Amino acid sequence: MTKKYFEDFGVGQIEEFGNRKVTEEEVIEFATEFDPQSFHVDKAAAKDHFFGGIIASGWHTGSMLMRMIVDFQISNSSSMGSPGMDELRWISPVRPGETLKVKSEVLSTAKHPRKSDRGFVKFGYTVFNQDDQTKMTMTSSILFGCTPIAEAS
Amino acid sequence: MPTEYFEDIKIGSSNEFGSKTVSLEEIVKFATEYDPQPFHIDEEAAKDSIYEGIIASGWHTASMTMRMMVDHMISGRAGLGSPGVDNLRWFKPVRPGDTLRVRSEVLSKKQSKSRPEMGTIFGVTQVFNQHDDMVMSFGTIGMTLLRPGSKSAD
Repeated sequence: MTKKYFEDFGVGQIEEFGNRKVTEEEVIEFATEFDPQSFHVDKAAAKDHFFGGIIASGWHTGSMLMRMIVDFQISNSSSMGSPGMDELRWISPVRPGETLKVKSEVLSTAKHPRKSDRGFVKFGYTVFNQDDQTKMTMTSSILFGCTPIAEAS
Repeated sequence: MPTEYFEDIKIGSSNEFGSKTVSLEEIVKFATEYDPQPFHIDEEAAKDSIYEGIIASGWHTASMTMRMMVDHMISGRAGLGSPGVDNLRWFKPVRPGDTLRVRSEVLSKKQSKSRPEMGTIFGVTQVFNQHDDMVMSFGTIGMTLLRPGSKSAD
């Protein structure tokens, strides 16, 4: 697979990827460290709560999305990281046993205002479960290096 | 039992809390699992990146912030979770040995029309390092119960 640079992303490009099984053990492990609210870590308490059972921390879902982005979208790219995200929405709870996948669409691209060797690509991401229910949406940008001069034809 | 309900949360009020020092080991462990880009997990490759050394995954920084919010702010609240966040920005890299703290301010709130027993609190959360540099900020949206039996927040 050839390395992806800023110029390789065009508005409207759609990619679908990922196949991440969410286990109860991982949900509890993540939340015990980073988000120890009862509906993320305590099976008995979670049953009586609003959500009716244990659910993944939203930051865990976001982190699992990030892992799928790294593995399937930017592992062989000139990614330099991200300045942030405009909007993140947890649409419905992620529960143990579900399998997550991602749809990515390029919303816009823009050269860096000061540094001519890089540019921002804004993506709209949607996370679905195995039944195509929407779990999370996110609009975020990634900074990519431009194609090196020597490689540009 | 929660001690803080929708009515108790005042617009314009702010809290400062937390002190989390992040180690190289934690940064690499988190990123190996969730964000295995070279500048998060590989010291040699990170030196040659624009960051000139290993930096924490932004998701790790957000997750550490969440832990401080749960410990110091959310645990006492009659909270019902959050539908999301807005305008999250990573301003500066978080590096091994940095110590993070949080400032959180309430910007506005709105009682639900369809479910008047609850309301939404809108705020901004800022994260600073030990040099008082802001490393991250984001807009928060939190669903919170009104006091039991209360019909109106007014």
